[in-house]
Amino acid sequence: MTEATPAPAPARTRHAALVWMTSQSPIVVTVLALVLGFFVGALIIITTTPAVLDAWRGLFHSWGAPGDALKVTFDNVGAAYRSMFTGSVFDPAQLWHSMTTGKGFDASLTPISETLTYATPLIIISTGVGIAFQTGLFNIGANGQAVLGGIAGGVAGSMLHMPMILHLPVTLIAGIAGGMVCGVIPGVLKAFTGAHEVIVTIMLNYVIYAFLLFAVLSTAFQQPGQSNDISRTMAPSAQLPPLFGAASGLRVSYGIFVALAVVLFAWWFLDRSSIGFDFRVTGANPSAAKASGISSRTVIVLVFLISGGLAGLAGIVQAASTTHYIDGGFLIGNAGIGFTAITIALLGRNRPMGILLSSLLFAALGVGGRTMQAATGIPLDLATVIQSIVVLFVATPVLVKEIFHLRAAKTEVLQLATQGWGS
Amino acid sequence: MSIAPAPAPTQVATFRPSGRTRIISIIMIVIGLLTALVFGLGSAASAHSSLTFTPINLANAPWHLGRLTLLTRWTNVILGLITVALGAEVFLRQPRRGVMVRFGVVAVLFLLALLLWASRAPGPSQVGYVNVTAVLIGSSEVAMVLIFGALSGLMCERSGVVNIAIEGQYIGGAFFGSVIASTTHDFFLAAIAGMVAGALLGLLLAFLSLRYLVDQIIVGVVIVTMISYLSSYLNLQVLTPYPQYNTGNLAPNLPIPLLSKIPIIGPVFFNQSAFFYLMLVLVGVISFALFKTRYGLHVRAVGEHPHAAATVGINVVRVRYINVVLGGAIAGIGGVAFMASQGQFQPGYTSGLGYIALAAMIFGRWRPSGAVAASVIFGLSVYLSENLQAYSIPISTEILGMFPYIITIVVVAGLIGRVRAPGADGIPYRHD
Amino acid sequence: MRLELRAITKRFGSLVANDQISITVEPGQIHSLLGENGAGKSTLMNVLFGLLHPDDGEILIDGVPTTFENSGEAVRRGIGMVHQHFMLVPVFTVAENVVLGFEPTKSFNRVDYQKATDDIRRVSKEFNLEVDPDAIIESLPVGIQQRVEILKALSHDAQLLILDEPTAVLTPQEIDALMEIMRSLAAAGKSILFITHKLKEVKAIADVITIIRQGKVVGTAEPSASESELASMMVGRDVVLTVQKEPFSPGEDVFEIRDLVVRDDRGLAAVNGVSLDVRAGEILALAGVQGNGQTELVEAIAGMRPVESGTITLNGHDITNASPRKVLDAGLGHIPEDRQRNGLVMSMTVADNLVLNTPRRAPFAKRGTRNLAAVNANAVRLINEFDIRTESPQELVSSLSGGNQQKVIVARELSRDLKFLVASQPTRGLDVGSIEYVHRQMVNHRNLGNAALVVSSELDEVFALADRIAVMYAGKISGVVDPSVSRESIGLLMAGTITETAHD
Repeated sequence: MTEATPAPAPARTRHAALVWMTSQSPIVVTVLALVLGFFVGALIIITTTPAVLDAWRGLFHSWGAPGDALKVTFDNVGAAYRSMFTGSVFDPAQLWHSMTTGKGFDASLTPISETLTYATPLIIISTGVGIAFQTGLFNIGANGQAVLGGIAGGVAGSMLHMPMILHLPVTLIAGIAGGMVCGVIPGVLKAFTGAHEVIVTIMLNYVIYAFLLFAVLSTAFQQPGQSNDISRTMAPSAQLPPLFGAASGLRVSYGIFVALAVVLFAWWFLDRSSIGFDFRVTGANPSAAKASGISSRTVIVLVFLISGGLAGLAGIVQAASTTHYIDGGFLIGNAGIGFTAITIALLGRNRPMGILLSSLLFAALGVGGRTMQAATGIPLDLATVIQSIVVLFVATPVLVKEIFHLRAAKTEVLQLATQGWGS
Repeated sequence: MSIAPAPAPTQVATFRPSGRTRIISIIMIVIGLLTALVFGLGSAASAHSSLTFTPINLANAPWHLGRLTLLTRWTNVILGLITVALGAEVFLRQPRRGVMVRFGVVAVLFLLALLLWASRAPGPSQVGYVNVTAVLIGSSEVAMVLIFGALSGLMCERSGVVNIAIEGQYIGGAFFGSVIASTTHDFFLAAIAGMVAGALLGLLLAFLSLRYLVDQIIVGVVIVTMISYLSSYLNLQVLTPYPQYNTGNLAPNLPIPLLSKIPIIGPVFFNQSAFFYLMLVLVGVISFALFKTRYGLHVRAVGEHPHAAATVGINVVRVRYINVVLGGAIAGIGGVAFMASQGQFQPGYTSGLGYIALAAMIFGRWRPSGAVAASVIFGLSVYLSENLQAYSIPISTEILGMFPYIITIVVVAGLIGRVRAPGADGIPYRHD
Repeated sequence: MRLELRAITKRFGSLVANDQISITVEPGQIHSLLGENGAGKSTLMNVLFGLLHPDDGEILIDGVPTTFENSGEAVRRGIGMVHQHFMLVPVFTVAENVVLGFEPTKSFNRVDYQKATDDIRRVSKEFNLEVDPDAIIESLPVGIQQRVEILKALSHDAQLLILDEPTAVLTPQEIDALMEIMRSLAAAGKSILFITHKLKEVKAIADVITIIRQGKVVGTAEPSASESELASMMVGRDVVLTVQKEPFSPGEDVFEIRDLVVRDDRGLAAVNGVSLDVRAGEILALAGVQGNGQTELVEAIAGMRPVESGTITLNGHDITNASPRKVLDAGLGHIPEDRQRNGLVMSMTVADNLVLNTPRRAPFAKRGTRNLAAVNANAVRLINEFDIRTESPQELVSSLSGGNQQKVIVARELSRDLKFLVASQPTRGLDVGSIEYVHRQMVNHRNLGNAALVVSSELDEVFALADRIAVMYAGKISGVVDPSVSRESIGLLMAGTITETAHD
C-alpha cells in the first residue's frame, strides 16, 4: 500500500510457533484448565473418600507402609476417573467382548449414545446462552426458560392429537414459544427499566420452578391416576424417536439433528447475518452500536427471545427424546441445565463450534459422573464441581499460564463483560 | 495511556425520575385497588379479623394483651385507600426523595391486608386470628439472614466490587457452621468456621476479579455453583455416612433480662439467638465505620472514584480486598445463622436468599439502615409465602412460593436507575 | 521547592513515552511544559507524581534524589497535582475531598470534620480561594471544582504544583482567574509546572518554557518567543494549518436548527435556544470552549440525545428526535467526538468497522445475510483511497494508530452518500500529518458542494476550515461571524462578553 506499511512478520520459526501456541491459542489454556480441574477433583476425592482417609489414618496407628496408603489413593481416584471414561465414551473390556464374540455391539455403543443423548439439549441451550454472551448479556435464566419450554411442549405433546408430521413440529414450536415467553420478561425489563438481567433471571428461575410443581400437580396436566409430581406422557406422534430404533436400546434420538441444525443456525446468525452483526456490535461496544443506528432495546429484547427460544427448544427436545413426560425435578436436578449451559458457553468461548465440542465434553462428564457414582459411590455432584473449576480457570488464562510458567500477556482476560447495576 | 479515564461525573449523575416514578406510582395504585377490592370488598360484610399479641412461648410474657378485632371489609378498604392515596400523591407530586420509603409502606400495608383477609372469620380459615408477635418472630429469622447478606453486599459494593456470590457464602457458612456446631456443640466456634468459609470465598472472588480482572458477576455466579455442588457432594460423601457431623443444632434463645419482658417488642427483639444480637451490633458498627471513620471515607472514595483515591495514596486494590473478604465473612455468618435457625445443613435450602439479600441492598440504597428496612419487608413476604397456607387460602402453595421472587423482580425493575449505585460499582480497576 | 528531573525514561512496551527528559523547576517559578497531545507530557507528570515508575533516570527534590512508591508519597513530599480529569469524588463534599487520604481523626478513627473545615477555611483565606467546604462537588461549576483541586493540593502543603492542561474545560474568565491564582501562588514561593499545548497561555504566564515532542525535550524558550517559533518546535516543522480551498459559493440551506433546547445528563438545559443554518458547499465551524453545550448539540443532531423543544431539519426532512438509524438514512455523516467510544468497535476488523453503520445496505448484505466478499472489497478500496495504514482489511481496528483509526471513520462517513457532515473535534489527539489529511478530506467534501458542521475548540482548526464561524457560549450561539474577523473578537464571543444576532 504505502511505504509506511510495516514489513510482513518474518516467517515463524518452530520456536515462535510454539510461543504463539502457548501464549495466544485458546486451546492450550482450555486443555490446561481441564487438567487443573481434574487435578482439583482428584484432591477432593482424596480428602473426602472414607476409604482413602482410613488408609492414611492407618499410617499413624499401625505404622503401615505408606505405599499402601498411596495405592489406595490411586486406586480410588483411578477407579473414579476410569468409570467416568467407561461410562461416557466406551468400555474397552465390553468392546473387546463385542469384537471377539460379535455380540453386544449395542452395549458397547451405549456409553457414547448416552453422552450424545445428554449432549443434545446442552448444545441447544448453550448456543442460546452463548449468543446472549456475545451480545454482552448474561442469561442465567436459561434454566427457567428450558423448564417452561418443556412444560409448554409437554402440554402440546400430551394434550393435542394430530399426525406426527404436524404434531412433532407443533410440539417443538410450543417449546420454543414457552422459552420465549419466559425469556422476554428479563429482556423487556432490561430494555425499558434497566433492571439487571442477572437478578431478574435468577428470580424468574425460582418462580418457574414453583410453577413447574404447580403444573405437574394440576389436574389438567398431571398423569391421570397419579398423585406424584409427574405429567401426562407425550403422544408417540410428538416424540423424537430413537435414531437406531427402540429395539437397539440406544437412547440417542433424532434430537441430535435438531441440535446440529441449531449449531449451523448459530454459525450463520453470528457470522453471516445482519442481525447477528448488530448483536456483536452491541456486545462489543454499546455506545458505538447506538451511534450506528442500532436500537439497543430491540437488540436486548431480540437476544432474550432467541436465547429463551433456544432454551425452550432444549427443554422440549429433552422431554421429547428421553423421558416423554415431565416431573417436578425436570432439568433442575443435578447441575441444573442452565448453569451447565453457562459453563459450556464460557468454555466454548461463545462460538458455535466451541460450544458443540464443550457440550460433548461436559455431557461426557455428566454421564460419566453417573457411572462413577454407581461404580464407586462418589457423588455425581463432583462432575459439576470440576466443571466450575475448569470454567474459573478458563476465565483466568493468565493464572493458568502462571501456574504452568508459560508466557502470558498481563492484560489477557476472557473477552467478556457484563454491565453494572446502573446501566 | 497510564490510567484509564475517570468516569465522567455527568455519567454518574444520570437521573431521570419522571417516567419511572410514574410507573412506581401506578403499581402502588394498582396494589391499593387490589387491597380494597379483593381483600376489602371481597370479604363478607360480617367477617371479622382478630389480631392477638401473646407469644406462643409464654415464658417471657408476664403480660397479657387482649385481641384486637376488626371488621375485615372496612379495615382493608381503608388500608387500600391509604395505598391509593400514597400512589396518587407520588403520581401527582413526583417527589425526588422518599419514593422508596412510601413503596416500603405500601408493601407492609399490603401484607397486613393480606393477613387480615386470610384470617377472617367466618371464612375458609380454621385459624381465626393472626398472632402478630408470632408473625414478627417468624419473619425476624428470615430478615436476620437477609440483613447479614445485604450488609455483605453493601461492604463489597461500597468499595466497588459486586458480590453476587452471597448465596454461595451462605451455603459455605451453613455447611461448615453445621459441621463445627455438630462436633463441638459450640455456636461461637461454628460462627468462626462460617466466617472463615465466607471469607475464603470472598478472597477467591477478590483474587480473580481484582488481580486478574475477570468479570465480577461471572466469577460470582460460578462460585455460587461450585460451592452449591461441592456442599451437595460433601453432604452425600461425608455427612450422610457420618450423620454425627450434621446433627440438629438450633441456636438457643438468650433472653435479655427485663427487656425481653416488654410486650411485643420483648419477644421480637430481646429473646433471640446470639446471631440476632450480633446482627444488630453489626448494623451499628458498619453504619458507623462507613460513614464516620477514616476507613469508611476511604472505602466510599474507592467505590465512587478509585483513581481519585489512588492519587492521594489510598491503595485501591487493598481496600477492595479487605472489604470483599470482610463482606464474605459477614455473609458466612449469615449462613451459620440460617443453619442455626433451621437446625442442620441441607443442600440447596438457601433457595436464592442470597440474591434476595442483594435486592434488599439495592432497595435500601446501599445504606445499612435501608438494607435493614428492606430486609424486614422481604423477610415478612418470605415468611408469609411459607406460612400463609395455614389459613387455607384459595391459593396453592406453589403460587404463594413465587411471591418473594416476584416482589424482588418488581423492586429491581422499579428501582434500578432510580437509586444510585456507587460510581465505580462492578468496574475493574486497572492501574498502569 | 527546587525540582529536578534527570534523564527520565518511561517505556510502554516498545513505545518510548519519555526519552531522557531533564527539567529543572526553581522555587517561585512558573515552568511551562509545552507539547502536542501524545508528546508524553501526561506520562512525565504521572511519573513525577508517583503514579508511574520511571524505567530510568532520577527525581531530585532540593538536590536530594527521591523515589515515590505511590502518589501519596509524592503528596507527602510536597508535590500537588491538578489533573486534567479532576480527581474528585463527585458525591463527596468539598471537605471530604480535600481531606481524603490525609484525614484528621478523633477517637475511634473518626474523621474530624470540624478540624477539616477549619483548615480549609484557613487555607482558602490564605490563598484567596473562596469555596464552601460543605458543598457537594457535582453541584459545583467546573471552574470551582478546579479550585477545589488546587485547594486540595495546597492544604496538603504542596510546594510544587503540577497543573495538567488546566484550561481545557474553562471559560476565558475562568482562565483569567486561574492565571491570577497561579501568579499569586508563585509569588508566595510555590513552584508551578504548567502543562499545556496552548501557545497563547504559555506566553501569557510562563517564566520558562520547555518544549517536548515525541517523548523528548526538543528545546527551551523564553516567553518572548513568537508563537510560530514555539509551534514549529512543538510539531517539528513549520505548520501550515491552512488548506487549499476553492472560493466560497454557498448554495441552498441543507441543514437547519431552530430554537433547539437539549438537556444534559443532569437535566440542565445544555443547549438553550440554538438556531443555525448550514448551506450546501460551506463549512460552518462551531467554535467555543468545551462544555458549552457543543457535545449535547451534536448528540441531539445525531439522534443520540432527546430534544426538549425546537426542530432539526436535514434536506427538508424533519429529523427532530428521530432515531440514529433514521438520521443516518436521511444522509447525515457523523465523526464523533469520542471515536473509540462512539465511532469504532475496537475488537472488530477494519473491514467491519468500515461498514459499521451500513451493514444492511447493498451490496454488503442481501436478505439478511451479509456478503463478506463485498464488505472486504469495500475495505480494500477505502484503505487505498484514504491511505489507511493497516496490514490487511482483516486487521483489528484496535491495532491501528490513532490517526489511522480516525481515517477509518472519515473514510466510512465520506464514502456514504451524505447530505451533511457533522465532525466533532475531528483532529483531537492526532499527529500533524493526520490533521492535515483529515482537513484536506473535509475541504474536498465541501468543494464538491456538500455541507458540513465542524465543532472544534481549537481556534486554529476553526480558522483553517471555516467559511463561517458560529460561536457557542453557555448553551447559546453568541455570534456568527466571518473567518476574516480577529481572534480577539472570537475570543470575546467565546467568553460570552459580547453577543451578536444569531442570524446574519
